[in-house]
Amino acid sequence: MNGTRLRDDLIGVMGAGVGTPLPDADFDALARRVWAHQCERNPAFARFCDARGVQPGSWSSWRDLPPVPARAFRERGLVSLGPAQAVFRTSGTTGAGAARGEHRVPDLSLYHASLLPNFEAHLLPGGARLPMVSLIPSPLEVPDSSLSHMIGVVEAELAAETRYFVGRDGRLDEHALRAALRDAEDAGDPVLVVGTAFAFVHLLDALATGGTRFRLPDGSRVMETGGFKGRSRTVPREELYAAIDSRLGIPPRRIVNEYGMTELLSQFYEPVLAGGARLHRPPPWVRTRVLDPATLEPLPPGREGLLCHVDLANLGSVCCVLTEDLGVEPPEAEGHGFLVLGRNPGAEPRGCSLAMDELMTARRGPIR
Amino acid sequence: MRTFPAWWLPPGVPGRAASAAAELPPHARGAEHPGTAPTAFSTTSVSGDLRLRFPTPDPAFARCLCDHLVEAGARLHERRTDSLVASLGRAGARFLDPADPIRKEALDLLPPAAGLSTAMAREVLDGMARDWTADRLARLVRAQFPDPAVLDGFRPGPGGSRVRAFGHRLIVQLGAGNVAGVSVGGVARALLARSPVLLKPGLHDAVLPVLYARALADCDPGLAAALAVLYWPGGADTVEAEVLSRAGLVVVYGGADTVKAVRARLPATTPLVAYSHRVGVALVGREALAAGQANRTAMDAARAVAAFDQRGCVSPHLFWVEEGGALTPAEWAARLAAAMAALERDLPAGPAPPEVASKVQQLRGTWELKQAAGEGVRVFRPAGVEWTVAYDPDPAFSPSCLGRFAWVKPVADLERVAGLLAGLRPFLQTAGLCGAGARAASLVEQLGGAGVTRVATLRRMAWPPAWWHHDGGDPLRALVRWVDWEVE
Repeated sequence: MNGTRLRDDLIGVMGAGVGTPLPDADFDALARRVWAHQCERNPAFARFCDARGVQPGSWSSWRDLPPVPARAFRERGLVSLGPAQAVFRTSGTTGAGAARGEHRVPDLSLYHASLLPNFEAHLLPGGARLPMVSLIPSPLEVPDSSLSHMIGVVEAELAAETRYFVGRDGRLDEHALRAALRDAEDAGDPVLVVGTAFAFVHLLDALATGGTRFRLPDGSRVMETGGFKGRSRTVPREELYAAIDSRLGIPPRRIVNEYGMTELLSQFYEPVLAGGARLHRPPPWVRTRVLDPATLEPLPPGREGLLCHVDLANLGSVCCVLTEDLGVEPPEAEGHGFLVLGRNPGAEPRGCSLAMDELMTARRGPIR
Repeated sequence: MRTFPAWWLPPGVPGRAASAAAELPPHARGAEHPGTAPTAFSTTSVSGDLRLRFPTPDPAFARCLCDHLVEAGARLHERRTDSLVASLGRAGARFLDPADPIRKEALDLLPPAAGLSTAMAREVLDGMARDWTADRLARLVRAQFPDPAVLDGFRPGPGGSRVRAFGHRLIVQLGAGNVAGVSVGGVARALLARSPVLLKPGLHDAVLPVLYARALADCDPGLAAALAVLYWPGGADTVEAEVLSRAGLVVVYGGADTVKAVRARLPATTPLVAYSHRVGVALVGREALAAGQANRTAMDAARAVAAFDQRGCVSPHLFWVEEGGALTPAEWAARLAAAMAALERDLPAGPAPPEVASKVQQLRGTWELKQAAGEGVRVFRPAGVEWTVAYDPDPAFSPSCLGRFAWVKPVADLERVAGLLAGLRPFLQTAGLCGAGARAASLVEQLGGAGVTRVATLRRMAWPPAWWHHDGGDPLRALVRWVDWEVE
């Protein structure tokens, strides 16, 4: 299998942009090539597929690809192996002591080809080139964070200028940030503010303490990402957006949520800047399905289940990734997006046995 | 969709029935008092076909309820232990009587309320209610008090002094994450200790304490007057603060975050009895792998995993199986899998909550990849997520994601297990032990030293008796307040 040619074909699809649909037959043909490439690189994965009746001769559709749990990225050399141009690690969101997931990326060009058109379409449409205010640490500070890497690529390719206000230790340089926001206000040019939900909460708490309100210029926008798992303070989304509106002067219709994970090299955005609904939309080279948690069978629209993504940008690892996130595809979305409900929405503990995550959080040492 | 009124307020509590008779079932109606009645109600679905309905308390109502309980509790001081045991036991025994409508209602509601299959719900009710009978409660009292008369009056103590066990002004019991039935045991112990009790049950353990309160009201209204069952959603901070400030003793069941939060909110002088979430493990020695034994061992192990669908603090996460027996640990894992499959017919798993099913899928898929990678791993499972047995040649401890997911790991000698538990000390509770022969005594010493607080056979593992030292503490003595009377 010629991996370079396949890569170039994928880059070609991505280069056509997120507005160019990829018909199912074309997606399927590419998925089959990606899968064959992965089986060749990873015999254990090939045997895993074989045990599920998915063999080279029996391919019928990308829908038959066996989901690989995101958890598998936490076992070294299992699904992400071989030489890599970059190695990204999960932040250990399922507990301080848990082994971190590792995504080895053999070829960054594919990652960049996937992230740029998607970011541009949802945050910088119409050729906008805004200065970026980043509450995400720079890739120089945290080279193994895929989120930082992504912002670094956006900085290089799409942003007018970028300033970083959060360090590798997660600390916010509040003084410098206030000055930058004031400058932006004075200059009257819109800015793009990017950060994790947690970083925004931290910033908004600080601004609320001092009673400070900024009115960032019209056209300013926010990319907010990530949840609160493992953090001391969690805030409902509506409350967070209202606070961003009130403290930064950026209304909810200009706040875009990004859903992404280290294990996937493509991202999902809400098309709110284009006036679309708050649904996460896969780019054409990704197919997202909602699976029954008990059987992993696909569920019809309207039913809640586990989000499973087939991401062709994951050429270098595995492309069909089963997440721990519950989601739903609203019937009215007609296949154009899904809602992320999170890992454990509103569930109360159902027993007194210490479950895996709690034990991992409580223990400091590495544990499997 | 059925709706269960998931609260119990003692007769005479202002506002008990104030929210219109239609809001309350007949058993919960009582004298009407204006002013502090809960007027708002909320409902929460606990399964596809059961909703729990409960009043939304406010701090004024909570204060009023505490006052009432304290007053009713003061009258308990004059009650004799044998009469309390008789009443509590009579109420408890109704849950074992096949003809009793209260047992029927419990069996009807328990599957949807606790997320258990019908057969497992019956197993849980039988196992739990066994400890609510007069005989077992009397044994609990005797096990905890060599001279049970100290509960009834002052008795001679050491050095010529006299001692008596008093109740607390009010015990507040918070049952986050209880498996079904656990909070009834706690309530019975509090009342035995002469304390009125306000129980906030876990959402999935609200049915049995309400039914128990009804049963108690039928046979001993005075005793039932000292009990309230009231749920409020987490975050109702002002209500919780009010209740905690009135407590003489707080008993909390819950995860680390819950326990920590409650501890932080208690006045410095209020004692806390905390039952954190725990981990159970099991040791299977060579002797249990012999022909004629191995299948029995596997079935006992399967039942220990299946009980409460593995949600109990007594539930095993992992079986360390000794090498050098008639079966290899991997072969025994296959036997355990066969037993799990067989048990699924008799005691089926309840519907897996999505978050549990999700974790099962993550672990299963990952270990199936490891199996494909030739790492000596073997995963046994049905098509659904009813149960999973994962054999992993790495003997290091692995926590289960629950949902009847059991690890099997080899160990060269059972003597090594205590070392493998290093680092788990604060979380350990029950260790199942079988097939150790004459080595049992020394192994139990080692396990106790490693932090285990209970060692039991696999068959008994899931069902500790009423008088067990839960997490190493006294079940009844921990609830009393000693008063010493010293004279010249």
